[in-house]
Amino acid sequence: MRKLLTFVFLAIVLTVVAAPVSAQSGTSDKAWGFIAAGFSMAIASAVCGLAQAKATAAACEGMARNPGASDAIRFALILGLALIESLALYTLVIVFMKIDLG
Amino acid sequence: MEHELWITKLFNDLLGSTAGSMLESMGLHPHNPARAFTNYVAMEILVAVIIVAVFLYLRTQLSVDNPGKLQHFFELFHDFTKSQAEEQCGHHHGHEFVPMVMTLGVFILFSNLIGLIPGFESPTQFIFVTVGCAVLAFCYYHFEGVRIQGPVKYAKHFAGPVWWLAPLMFPIEIISHTGRNLSLSVRLFANMFAGEQVFLVFLGLVPLGIPMIFIGLHVFVAFLQTYIFMLLTLIYLGGATHTEH
Repeated sequence: MRKLLTFVFLAIVLTVVAAPVSAQSGTSDKAWGFIAAGFSMAIASAVCGLAQAKATAAACEGMARNPGASDAIRFALILGLALIESLALYTLVIVFMKIDLG
Repeated sequence: MEHELWITKLFNDLLGSTAGSMLESMGLHPHNPARAFTNYVAMEILVAVIIVAVFLYLRTQLSVDNPGKLQHFFELFHDFTKSQAEEQCGHHHGHEFVPMVMTLGVFILFSNLIGLIPGFESPTQFIFVTVGCAVLAFCYYHFEGVRIQGPVKYAKHFAGPVWWLAPLMFPIEIISHTGRNLSLSVRLFANMFAGEQVFLVFLGLVPLGIPMIFIGLHVFVAFLQTYIFMLLTLIYLGGATHTEH
């Protein structure tokens, strides 16, 4: 209980200390583009990483259980990884098309 | 604006304004009509010339009893493509698709790899080139589907397994087929473009040593993306020509 109260108090103090930041001029339109680009690429890469990890783990387990089917499993693994990778790359393409680097 | 490679400069000095006036007469407007060749067009032509030269040299070196390394490499490529085609498209028609798919594969492989040589640039780094390859694959598999199955039967296979789902299945199938164009082209373009960009970013950070890891990864990705393009074309061909027995 004490730790929770300490944490809540610390959060309130930090918010109060950080308040003057909002007095500066707001972010320009271009800056929002950069921030959104960073966040969207991070989310896409993170979820792509999770999906590829699941695919690789399933492939490893399959190959361990049935070494005779290794070739077929490896083929399915490579195909699956490339298709999942392409989804994250679509996000990269949108980022490059839409942020204004000028 | 991209700076010109030495090969683009060569093309532009010789043929720049000719190409510009030809394009303008067809209604297209290049950025700079006096120097109308872009980097990727010049690199594509160079890759095509290199492929033709390699295969002409290979022709003179072909031998049944004593094959050389080049013959071994291309025999390996051909056998691999043929086995994948027969696995995906059935033994009846698989061998018919090998020429086109292997041509696409050789072109994309050489285009991807030529970007690693300093002074050259992969034409597949530009969306225009990969869209060309993807549209070619798209038109090819529809053409083969119509040729092998006949137009009526081919159109009927868009309708799905049961007749009463057809009004739902037709739009879904059409959208997914056009999505194949998008995915084939953007996958290849994004992999090649991202490989180069990552290398440039790390080159700006650490000038020595570390960027080479990304070049190594890029070589692997170049081979893998060629294989994926060929494999997906074969899968679409198999789906288009799969005759129910």
